Amino acid sequence: MKSGILAGVLLATVSAAAAFAQGGPIKLANVAELSGGGATVGNNWKNGIDLAIEEINAKGGLLGRKLEVTHADSQSNPGVARAQVQKALDNEPYVLLGPGYSGSVKVTAPLAAEAGIAQIMGGEAAELTQGGNKFLFRTSFGQQSSMPKVAKYINDELKAKSVAIVWVNNDFGKGGRDVITKEFAKYSIKVAADISTEAGQADFAADVSKIKAAAPDAVFVYVNEEESARMLKELKRQAITVPLMGETTLVGQKVVELAGEAANGARGHVGLTTDAPVDLVKAFREKFVKKYNYVPDHNGLKGYLAIYMIKATTEKMGKVDAKAFADNLHGLTIKAASEPGILMDATFDEKGDIDRQGFLVEIVDGKQVVKQVLPKLN
Amino acid sequence: MTATGKYLRIALGVAVIAALIIVPMNFNRYGLYILSQWAVMTIAAMGLNLTLGYAGQVSLAQGAFVGIGAYAAAIMTTQGGMPLIAALGVAIVLCFAIGWILGYPALRVQHHYLAFVTLAFSTLAFLVFRNEDWLTKGIYGISNIPRPNVLGFATNRPLPFYYFCLGSLALVSLAMWWLIRSPWGRAFVALRENPVRALSLGIDTRRYTLMAFAIGSALGGVAGTLYAPLTQYIDPVPFNLSLSLDLLMMVIVGGSGFFFGPFLGAMIAVLLPEWLRFTQGYYLMLYAVAVMLLLIYSPTGILGILDRYLAERRTKAASALRAVVKSRLETAP
Repeated sequence: MKSGILAGVLLATVSAAAAFAQGGPIKLANVAELSGGGATVGNNWKNGIDLAIEEINAKGGLLGRKLEVTHADSQSNPGVARAQVQKALDNEPYVLLGPGYSGSVKVTAPLAAEAGIAQIMGGEAAELTQGGNKFLFRTSFGQQSSMPKVAKYINDELKAKSVAIVWVNNDFGKGGRDVITKEFAKYSIKVAADISTEAGQADFAADVSKIKAAAPDAVFVYVNEEESARMLKELKRQAITVPLMGETTLVGQKVVELAGEAANGARGHVGLTTDAPVDLVKAFREKFVKKYNYVPDHNGLKGYLAIYMIKATTEKMGKVDAKAFADNLHGLTIKAASEPGILMDATFDEKGDIDRQGFLVEIVDGKQVVKQVLPKLN
Repeated sequence: MTATGKYLRIALGVAVIAALIIVPMNFNRYGLYILSQWAVMTIAAMGLNLTLGYAGQVSLAQGAFVGIGAYAAAIMTTQGGMPLIAALGVAIVLCFAIGWILGYPALRVQHHYLAFVTLAFSTLAFLVFRNEDWLTKGIYGISNIPRPNVLGFATNRPLPFYYFCLGSLALVSLAMWWLIRSPWGRAFVALRENPVRALSLGIDTRRYTLMAFAIGSALGGVAGTLYAPLTQYIDPVPFNLSLSLDLLMMVIVGGSGFFFGPFLGAMIAVLLPEWLRFTQGYYLMLYAVAVMLLLIYSPTGILGILDRYLAERRTKAASALRAVVKSRLETAP
């Protein structure tokens, strides 16, 4: 009798183990800037990932299997990022997530490609997807797709003939500045002043004086949120009245909160923002705030979308196959109607770039007002 | 030192070297990368140990020299298509020369004033790496840095590259071992302990101060030329002030002025945070606390503990001997 029970227990254990081997969790690995200069980027990205995974697992997982993610800190240093990605790849994850800094993406992308593992990352530098890497995917517009829209708007709508450019001197700011300078050249718009600023800069008085002296028809501001707010205040203080144009970082909710009155009139192209006039995005924002008690920036959205990109691709394949993943995501269109987690319809091209609708917004009385919806290209 | 003690030390040394060669054969790529990083950082820290530990000059510029070496390697091997050995030569000469010039303020100012001068240089180097696009590609960095062929062997795979780093570390260690036992090394120590007395003994303190700076900086350059092919991508960020501070910490935590101090210090700085990663978000805090506790317990670093222990034992043995002799003398007829 006793041996019968024992045999029964044994059998149960064995069969449970077998079931576990088949339906064990799907392992994902995230390497992001959890400390150092990019800590805001990395932690928003991480929280977005955790939120999406929690949702999917609560609904029974992906193809009946739970998702599991490990987070590793790159300390915002490419050398450390490389070590952590190496470690993550040694554990053979299904998909690699991150990093967010373009430099860290550049140093890790060849490793993931060599291992044949798809890498879904947050970097926005234009060149990342130009090198023919078949395993790298964006979660947001690269600068090569957002800047032409900004330049076109400045030329067509603002009819500016000379523009002052203010940018933050890191790979994000400089990348944007280089792309838009080329775009301006196409419209023969003159760069009246080319002003580089530091990340975390507190005082913009001297920079704004330079703008004033250059007397441009418009100002293009491409710095981080806190600095955008300080810049807007200083522009207001020195009574610069020409149109102010920027990107996601100039017209976010945080900038409006920090700059107050001074933010009114600022315009920008926005690809991914929690302020987007889209119901699914608003719902995402509410869920995020409920869980983490703060409003995420676009990096929170990127992390969230990355997980739903994995979900949609895997469901399309009907199986968990790391080797075939990248091939299946290339050319895939994910519709928000069938996969609400993707928030807005998105298409991924052969280079791993994303195509999605964008918005041109203006701050009016402390509120973002969408002036123009820029449709998805394809 | 007794003969058995000497053999014990040699045996220990051989065992450690054998372990460094054999054990990593089974490591995965991540483990090999971290160990290679340890070897590279040890070389940089050895340079600083010469400047700080032996010659007593505080420098916050060692990270900048690693950067100069790394950029020399990256630019010459990617754009010039030259072999790494050529870059190594350029890096050594360049860092030696700049280190020599940077040594001049050390003739006039000491301690924290000197720290500020070197800090300024560190910032200057960072700005050059970042703003001189035509040379360094600025904030975009330089990618696809090739790994070298050594004696006909390709070092593209992680294990051969690790052996390349380990071999370089061995060569640098031997050179350093010889240097600090040479009259130069003695002069450096004399300079640290008492510059006035050193001068009165006929040591050209001016020349040796500059020399300590120049050789220490050149070793930073050597570490840099290895760092570039290790990560295969460099941008200015890793070479900012925090690297100099890290290297300073390695020297002090390991035990400044001890030959093996940089080896242990680099181990703590490179490996300890990795071991602590299982604590997730707390690993950097725990690491910081561990370093603080260590320095409170032993301001002279890890090897300081060992040194203190050995000194105590020798004192005890000597006083025991004295007691015996004394009692013998007293009881003597």
